[in-house]
Amino acid sequence: MQKRLEIRLKPHLNDAEGHGLRKKAEAYFGLAIETVRTIQIVTLDADLSDTQFNTIKNDLFTNPVTQESSFDPLDTPFDWCIWVGFRPGVRDNAGSTAVEAIEDILGLKFKEGEAVYTSKRYCITGPNLTEKDMKALASELLANDIIQQYSVFSKESWDKNNGVGLRVSKVKLDHTPTVSTITVESDELLRTISNERNLALRSQDIPVIRNYFLRDEVKKDRAAMGLSDPTDVELEYISQSRSDHCNHNTFQGIFRYTDLTTGETEVENNLFKTYIKEPTLYLKDKKDWVVSVLWDNAGIGRFDENNNYVITGETHNSPSNMEAYGGAITGIVGVYRDPLGTGLGAKLVMGSYGFCVADREYSGDYQPNLHPRRLLDGVIEGVKDGGNKSGIPTPFGQIYFEKGYLGKSLVFVTALGIMPATVNGNPSHEKRTTKGDLIIMCGGRVGKDGIHGVTASSEVFSENTPAGHVQIGDPYTQKKMHDFILDARDEGIIVFITDNGGGGLSSSIGESAEISNGCHVELEKVPLKYNGLDQWEIWISESQERMTVVIQPENLDRFMELSKKHAVESSVIGTYTDTGKLHITYHGKTCAYVNMDLLSEGFPQWEFDAEWQAPERRGLFEPVTNEPKDYNTLILDLLNRPNICSKEWVTRQYDHEVQGGSVIKPLMGKERDVASDASVVRPVLSSERGLAFSQALLPTYSAIDAYHMTTCTIDEAVRRLIAVGADPDQIGGVDNFCWPDIQFHPEKNPDGKFKAAQLVRSCRALKDMCMAYEIPLLSGKDSMYVDGHLKGRYGETLKVSALETMQFSASAVVTDVKHCVSLDAKMEGDLVYIVGETADQLGGSEYYEHIGKIGLNVPQVNAAHFMPRYRAMARAIETGLVASVHGVYRGGLAVHLPMVAIAGCFGMTIRLADVLWEGDTAKRRDDRILFSETPGRFIVTVAPKNKMLFEKLFSAMGAKHVGEVTRENDPLAIIGSQGEEKVRLSVSSMKHAYKKRFGDEI
Amino acid sequence: MSDVNVLVLTGYGLNCDHETAHAFQLAGAVSTRVHINALIAGEVKLDGFHILTFGGGFSWGDDHGAGVVQAVRMKTHLGKAIEAFIQSGKLVIGICNGFQTLVNMGLLPGFDNDYRSRRVALIHNDCGNFRDDWVALKVNEKSPCVFTQGLDAMEYPIRHGEGKFYAEADVIKRLTDQNQIALRYALKDGSTANGKFPENPNGSVDDIAGICDATGRVFGLMPHPEAYSHPVNHPAWTRQKEAAIRTGIIPDNPETPGIRLFRNGVDYIRNNIL
Repeated sequence: MQKRLEIRLKPHLNDAEGHGLRKKAEAYFGLAIETVRTIQIVTLDADLSDTQFNTIKNDLFTNPVTQESSFDPLDTPFDWCIWVGFRPGVRDNAGSTAVEAIEDILGLKFKEGEAVYTSKRYCITGPNLTEKDMKALASELLANDIIQQYSVFSKESWDKNNGVGLRVSKVKLDHTPTVSTITVESDELLRTISNERNLALRSQDIPVIRNYFLRDEVKKDRAAMGLSDPTDVELEYISQSRSDHCNHNTFQGIFRYTDLTTGETEVENNLFKTYIKEPTLYLKDKKDWVVSVLWDNAGIGRFDENNNYVITGETHNSPSNMEAYGGAITGIVGVYRDPLGTGLGAKLVMGSYGFCVADREYSGDYQPNLHPRRLLDGVIEGVKDGGNKSGIPTPFGQIYFEKGYLGKSLVFVTALGIMPATVNGNPSHEKRTTKGDLIIMCGGRVGKDGIHGVTASSEVFSENTPAGHVQIGDPYTQKKMHDFILDARDEGIIVFITDNGGGGLSSSIGESAEISNGCHVELEKVPLKYNGLDQWEIWISESQERMTVVIQPENLDRFMELSKKHAVESSVIGTYTDTGKLHITYHGKTCAYVNMDLLSEGFPQWEFDAEWQAPERRGLFEPVTNEPKDYNTLILDLLNRPNICSKEWVTRQYDHEVQGGSVIKPLMGKERDVASDASVVRPVLSSERGLAFSQALLPTYSAIDAYHMTTCTIDEAVRRLIAVGADPDQIGGVDNFCWPDIQFHPEKNPDGKFKAAQLVRSCRALKDMCMAYEIPLLSGKDSMYVDGHLKGRYGETLKVSALETMQFSASAVVTDVKHCVSLDAKMEGDLVYIVGETADQLGGSEYYEHIGKIGLNVPQVNAAHFMPRYRAMARAIETGLVASVHGVYRGGLAVHLPMVAIAGCFGMTIRLADVLWEGDTAKRRDDRILFSETPGRFIVTVAPKNKMLFEKLFSAMGAKHVGEVTRENDPLAIIGSQGEEKVRLSVSSMKHAYKKRFGDEI
Repeated sequence: MSDVNVLVLTGYGLNCDHETAHAFQLAGAVSTRVHINALIAGEVKLDGFHILTFGGGFSWGDDHGAGVVQAVRMKTHLGKAIEAFIQSGKLVIGICNGFQTLVNMGLLPGFDNDYRSRRVALIHNDCGNFRDDWVALKVNEKSPCVFTQGLDAMEYPIRHGEGKFYAEADVIKRLTDQNQIALRYALKDGSTANGKFPENPNGSVDDIAGICDATGRVFGLMPHPEAYSHPVNHPAWTRQKEAAIRTGIIPDNPETPGIRLFRNGVDYIRNNIL
């Protein structure tokens, strides 16, 4: 029986959700809405009695204090009503928990096909609202066509008896699972079929695949299993394994790099090996704190003698650009499975985010799939629900606005975990699969999620087609699984674990079977969300919240007992073997039988031409400027710029204190409102040690040279860590490359060779910096193709590519959190130092961007010079010589001197004549001192009594006393080189400028 | 000295169990994290414990009202056992999602010894979103609440989307008259916030941040005392540290106001039950 329950807040109560919608409708669309009241709809599709329905209504879904409900449509008045619900097959988290709750309260189990679906309707009043307004509101704010459906009802068209209808969003697939075979008669035919089936086999790989299947001994092996031509399961497996996502073909490719200035060409045979793997292995040998790198789901470093920490970073760009909320929540929940699947399983202890989007107020002609504002709102909310509901703090993050991200926005997610160094006496970072071990799938069930995502989006929807290609992460299911796995780990039951992400079972089992050298998987044992999936779909589905866990058969009972206790579904779906074969059956019939070493068959490397044209030769030059006269207004305008201003609105939506280990929070200072340099948490509550974490992004510098973009980004991330008190000898890094397409094509990608050269240069910079600062890369990922084809006003499309972007994350141990410092000035009379010289490096700066220029003199890192300074800073912090430390980042001193002042709510007097200048003194000018973004610098406040010791520690390291902290709420006064006052700004005016832009956002 | 045994619930999306157990340990108790299902299945008996803790988190994803499904499950399977636990003079504390659960179970406000009726609610914040911030709190010294005895004013973090305390006027009056309002959101100077945002972060009626039952032995609050278990948890700790260095008065690892709240519960058991 199907029943629809409507629930609303009692009319006299404030409807916060409705209020938020009203505010957004006004801000985003200029709609004058008077009221919005929200009605929650729960559609029950289950064979229950009236008494049971009433129990559910009264005891579960209606709070007698605040709510009213009815199985008939509620009579909330409206001029317009918008109903929004999920498309069939889209993860309905609330529907699933409703089933659990109903089963519990009624003491029964839902039968197959029975379910609960949730949706909402919004009752909107306002005298001048039109149907067009409502459709805009529905389609551009409330519902995303990819995952949701909506209906608009006018007051007149409303049927009081039937309301919105029943709205049962059930998946119906009238399909019998079928394995099909694909001919390998010719390259041409296989290529055609590959295209038709969206197999995405690369042309160069096709002959290798054919050769394999045409080999006599292979044919003979297969014939014994009843197979001849390859099956779709097999080709999908090969396609997944050979994809750029899984195999990193770009970074393992051959680059012919030509410097057009010198005409010299160098051949790079494998960027990954040369610039990431080799330096990391070298540093692993050198640094005994590095536990495990380069092979597992995440890297592992030592936290203390009993615990190791785990770190990794990911992007989730393409899905977030289609459905921002779903993409981002799937991204953060997904990256949280990586530490959980590292070693024998780590407990998640923190996460972070990085969002790169175009201007929030964008109003140009070229239309992205989602407007940047909507996209940003969605990804913010996705990471909020994903992080908060996982019980994992999010104490760091960054948002970067740049027009190139209109083509494709970036969503970075990073995760850190902690695990005991040993489990049952065995090292927790080691794991293996052995013949006879059981393959268990835990967590969620399998549906058509994430299968051939991109192509599926262009297919025509029917009412019952599962919209599976875009997913919605389910942090609740995963949190249960997380707790379960840690319990099982601590009992010593788990021998191997890995997550199911990209490629699904195909990747997780395919890769783990390489260790034992074979496996046998019985696909019919994989629990499904709904029937009708083909075998190949089960094999490669990317349905979320699943881990592949490996145990020995004798531990199966205990494992299942724990699984039941934690209310997690676990199923044995196969065993590992040592047969050298990946063997997949479905009800006993073989549907895949390939050699485990098929993937080392000698597939050809990808090849790229890279041409570097120096910035001068590309026509870049320094803008010709005079010193500004009105510094006060200019500085306030800079503080208000999107990339500089406060993002407190986002920070406060994210729980950054859960787990109780917060030390340096994302917002610090007297009024807790200025972004801190880095975060520090105590992941082990019984320990005084901390884990510092920071990230940096400086894509603007790529407009000049991605080499320096990379060095400056890494330097910033490291300097951020140093600023809070991290140990410079234990810094680990995570590189996340997001690059536009680098494969040259005369029409489709005419500047591909340049972008390829930028990638080579960035990789070289990465190695140079890692070696200089001694940072092993604990983890890293690349995401290519950051381009979009946007529709224009005349029906044309335009390709928009992002700037070459690398996010760098850095982590390090803090020996004793009591020594940590924050950025805010703390005491009147303290001395202000700038540590590090300033140079004429305004190229790509925030100031130049503000006046519409790029420039040429990109900031440069002098690593050999900086590192001793960072060690001295670490020593100064450890010995308590400094009251505050803040790095000088984007915007230069003009932005970061105000940060120190407004964080502490103190005035400061700064004398620019005392600032150390590096390079041509003829270039020295007060505006350049203030706006240059030279890396390697800090602003430090020091108690007068520590002057001598501090200066001694930094002798010959560029520390210069440049001013004093004045009284509370005194102005920031900056005295020019000639002795005249150039800046006089009150703390409140600077704070207002810093906070007003996003101050009213919800 | 006998142990004060504290049970901290885990499972189904609860997530503050580790730090809550840690905080009780610091306060002198022996705390055990127990899965809701282990308690329901009888693998662990409630009888062996003195304090039952409903901690923070997103139980069942909070998809149908925060704490609602947890309340239904607990009430269905353990309602009577928990009532007996309370009647035997032991303590129950609910923090954030735990507070939401207590009010949905009817354990609070517990008027007239009725621990089953829902009379108060915690609903969506007026600000329209989840919010993480530190708040100043003022203790009602007349309240019988066991956990807030001897505390006057303190700061704890709040981290919730549904923390607006709401009840009909007659219920609020009764809570006030019986001094069941133990904790209110306050301004810096210690006076109550009077609805001012962000000091009152969610629009709670009468700035209510925490209430107890008439006996003072069942207590629920939205702020997280367990997240202030170490001096460095406080958002101004680096400033406090510097001020201490300059004055030369450096506190010797003082117990935080967060731990003091738990110690009150532990001491109560020592003094009254053991």
